[in-house]
Amino acid sequence: MRLAIQGIGVTGGFGAGVAALRSALQTGTLSYQDLMVEHHDGVSDTFPVCRATTEGLDRFVPKRELRRIDHFSKMSLYAAHLALEDAGLLDADLSRIGVVVATGYGPLKTTFNFLDSYLDFGYSCSSPTHFSNSVHNAAAAHVSMQLKLTAPSLTVTLFEMSVASALLSARQWLAEGRVDRVLFGAVDEYCEVLRYCRRHFFGAGEQGPMRPLDFAAQTAQVGEGAVFMVLTREAEATAYAAIDAVVLGHHPSAPVELPRAALLVAGADGHRQCSRWYEQALKDRPVVACSPYYGSFPAAAGFDLAAAALMLKDGRVYAGPQEACANLHESAPDTKVTMASLKFGAGGDYGLICLSR
Amino acid sequence: MTCSVPIAVTGLGCLSGAGMNLDENLVTLFAGRRYPGPPIRFSTDHPVAYPVLELRDEFKLPLDEEQLVYARTGQLALAAAREALNDAGYDDESLQGKRVGVCVGTTVGCALNCDDFYRDYKDGSNPGMAIIERYLRSNPAAVIARQLKLNGPVQTVVNACSSGTDAIGLGASWLRSGACDLVISGGADELSRVTYAGFSSLMITDTGPCSPFDVSRKGLNLGEGAAIMILEPADATEKKRVRGLIRGYGSACDAHHLTAPRPDGAGLKTALNEALQTAGVTPQQISFVNAHGTGTPDNDRIEGRVLRELLPQVPFLSTKGYTGHTLGAAGAIEAVYSLACLERGEIPASIGFSEPDPEIALIPVIENTPLAGRVALSQSLAFGGNNAVLILSAGGV
Repeated sequence: MRLAIQGIGVTGGFGAGVAALRSALQTGTLSYQDLMVEHHDGVSDTFPVCRATTEGLDRFVPKRELRRIDHFSKMSLYAAHLALEDAGLLDADLSRIGVVVATGYGPLKTTFNFLDSYLDFGYSCSSPTHFSNSVHNAAAAHVSMQLKLTAPSLTVTLFEMSVASALLSARQWLAEGRVDRVLFGAVDEYCEVLRYCRRHFFGAGEQGPMRPLDFAAQTAQVGEGAVFMVLTREAEATAYAAIDAVVLGHHPSAPVELPRAALLVAGADGHRQCSRWYEQALKDRPVVACSPYYGSFPAAAGFDLAAAALMLKDGRVYAGPQEACANLHESAPDTKVTMASLKFGAGGDYGLICLSR
Repeated sequence: MTCSVPIAVTGLGCLSGAGMNLDENLVTLFAGRRYPGPPIRFSTDHPVAYPVLELRDEFKLPLDEEQLVYARTGQLALAAAREALNDAGYDDESLQGKRVGVCVGTTVGCALNCDDFYRDYKDGSNPGMAIIERYLRSNPAAVIARQLKLNGPVQTVVNACSSGTDAIGLGASWLRSGACDLVISGGADELSRVTYAGFSSLMITDTGPCSPFDVSRKGLNLGEGAAIMILEPADATEKKRVRGLIRGYGSACDAHHLTAPRPDGAGLKTALNEALQTAGVTPQQISFVNAHGTGTPDNDRIEGRVLRELLPQVPFLSTKGYTGHTLGAAGAIEAVYSLACLERGEIPASIGFSEPDPEIALIPVIENTPLAGRVALSQSLAFGGNNAVLILSAGGV
């Protein structure tokens, strides 16, 4: 069954909303902030991060209600509202809209805030607010509560494969008629502990600039953000593109079969560990990688999907930085027709999402 | 909403504080025994030692060195999967060539709540990445898929305490759509200092053994474990022993509060009605309900009221007294118990209950009770307002 993308809401380093994403893709503007981190030994260093904004969320949710909601859930709330607004559904009957959220790491900052509460003050001072917001489905819960969505809700986590995996279940719900629409989201957040881990794993390779198709180098830069889409089975509601197929697999045991003639939006994000799979699979195929616009994080596969849908809607390829596209010359396929987004995990697991206009 | 095609359950696996395999679990349940005690695998400075139900035997999987570096939840999931596959007559080799999906629920098993690592990080001790690498390897569904070299869809459901129920419902759905030939589905969660601290901070843990649906109930006991069902299309099981069927599944969100159930139980009612409709069964056909029954005042009051309204004559029990609340594993453990009870034709006493709560006005079964029918209902309520319900029946189609 084909899924129609009826609306998109997004917040990332480039700003909030589809227009901000389109503008970044059109102009090639990258938006990294240099964060200064002071270490225990007194030495400080800077670290480029693509941070997402939630400024403007109070247009949809009163500030009073946002006080106890963390950044992870705020990003989700913002993107969810923007997606519904983009689809023209903010004031519609939402009783048969299901919620499906994909996240690689869940609410990291709140998880560590909860640990702070008992490591700093003892177990009897553990924070119930941080604990209840630290579960992976907290974002889906806040979206459902704020929008009064009482249909089924699902949160899925599978690191880089979270988006493709969650999309399988979203499609299933629509195919079975359990819901009329799915508010499908992907979200991950940056935090200091993540920076620490990435510095250990990747060292100076995280300083950028990102060169996602330079498969020999580690060039990832951390990002964060949330993207939501309104999905429906009603073809006439297609505002962006249709999702024709979602395939998950394990490339080393059964190599991915890429759709012919489709332009590929590769989820390559400068991680050398994943690069060999892209190198094997992409070969001479026309490809763009949009990760430099939002950074490296598991849920960025949802941003790849949004970028592909936007290119299909606009009927043009946003090629991005020179280091992030390949084989786009005359042999580039007609992007008015088909695209696919492809994400590999470190072990060769892949998620392939095929789209058409 | 139309009736769903039943999905066959061809293998069961389960380990919990009530036993290291399904048979041991059933012996414990029908003997009316339980083994709560202070946590052994971790310590805290909390002034109260809330009882928990840990695995009673030292947990040793026949694993090679690589597998031992999985976090405990991943190992629990794998152990339950191996028991279930063995029950279904599959070895690793016979799975090759099939499109095998894995759909597993968890909570702790996906959280980066490594407090030893984080303490060192905060202290400036520059901790290494061994714990983080283990976390990155240990997504429960991915552990099973990787170890068994599977090539179908993989999904880890993180719907808090309804995760295991949802994973089984979604796994059945994958089979109906033709996405795979076989699905390994269920739930797994380890006992953790982090959730221990979290639930005590919410003041919903009992200082003694829990008492689901009892008027004096004070809260839950945490537990750990895993349960797995092997799901296959019912028409592809001609020569196999079919232990039961997944007949229906329903889920709905309260959209009310992050941790408390909606007072009118509307979400649970919606999920329950969807499950009945997709199963094509009436409330009169339900022979028993394996309730969520955590022993917290709020959960049992709301759940009890819904049962009184929708299934007033149906015997019900909570097995949380035997296992503790195993969070993401709970729904799967209870679904596996439900099928095993249907096979036996009886359900165990709802341990911990002694005096009815007038606000609920229902009494769970207080002794081992013979069953009059072949259909059971197992339900879960969760943080985030999730409600999920499975309808299962004994035998084949």
